[in-house]
Amino acid sequence: MKLQIQKHPSRRRSLFSVLAVCACIAVLAGCASPAKYEAMIPSSFEMSKLHPQSVSVSASGGKETDSTGKPQISDAAFTQALTEAITRSKTFSRVVQGAGGDYVLTVAIISVDQPSIGFSFTVKMEAGWTLKRAAGGAPVWQESIRSQHTAGATDAFAGVERLRLATEGAARNNIAQGLSSISKLNL
Amino acid sequence: MVKRLALLPLLLGSLTLASGCAANRATATASPDVNWTAVKTFYVVRTQGDKRGTENLIRDDLVKRGFSATGGPELPKESYKVDAIVTYVDRWMWDITMYMLELTVTIRNPANNFPLASGNSYHTSLARKSPEAMVDEVLTNIFNRAKPN
Repeated sequence: MKLQIQKHPSRRRSLFSVLAVCACIAVLAGCASPAKYEAMIPSSFEMSKLHPQSVSVSASGGKETDSTGKPQISDAAFTQALTEAITRSKTFSRVVQGAGGDYVLTVAIISVDQPSIGFSFTVKMEAGWTLKRAAGGAPVWQESIRSQHTAGATDAFAGVERLRLATEGAARNNIAQGLSSISKLNL
Repeated sequence: MVKRLALLPLLLGSLTLASGCAANRATATASPDVNWTAVKTFYVVRTQGDKRGTENLIRDDLVKRGFSATGGPELPKESYKVDAIVTYVDRWMWDITMYMLELTVTIRNPANNFPLASGNSYHTSLARKSPEAMVDEVLTNIFNRAKPN
């Protein structure tokens, strides 16, 4: 075996090629990182009205990221992105922590549909948005918001990174659509 | 030396494959605003292209739990004469045989399609469950969350 490889440099080269490919696969296949809250904040907003009231926000249905799985959106990251987006867009005058706001906004992440393979990844997301008066009563607004985002092959080299970008984009679009709908309400 | 080098691709390949072999996840969420005791009748909307009968498994599981459940294709929303409609997304994978990798079930308001509750189970090959067990796990988690007010 040793002699054969020494006599055939092309075999040695192909062995090292296999090694390099395996190393690349090992690196690309592992270490999924969760969706980052900063990347889920929309860069621009289409607002009809700015509400003078305050609001408290919460998210549910998110998942923690398993390093060997796919990038996920956690409740904490989505809540932080939503809080920051409301503050920047001025949808409400103030976001309060816990009780004490005029309204309560809850977002339930229902599904995040992520592909397993491909060059460009399109992630589709659905979330149920509910706005209620803090004093109680029936919801003043409720809507299922669907969004999606595609991360192309040139956006990131590693597939798991591309999937995270697509996931963050879908969440960003969901927040933008949700706040745009809220801004159209007469509160 | 060369022998050791030759083993390295095998080792890396094994690590790569093993990294996703036994992942398990089962989650559910339900709206606290719904009067769940009033939800007794369901219509399971068949997902387009479902040839494996997941719709029937969900319907049968609901009936087993004492609910009235029917199923079929998506209808105009005014045609649903039920308390809730059920939609689902099932993902299948092949590893020696086909198995259900992931199932997401969503219970919706028939009037506006708003999601009232949702559950998701994900089991990779080594931790695979039968489709019946996947359906049962998802619905059990949903109804554990959807406590009557």
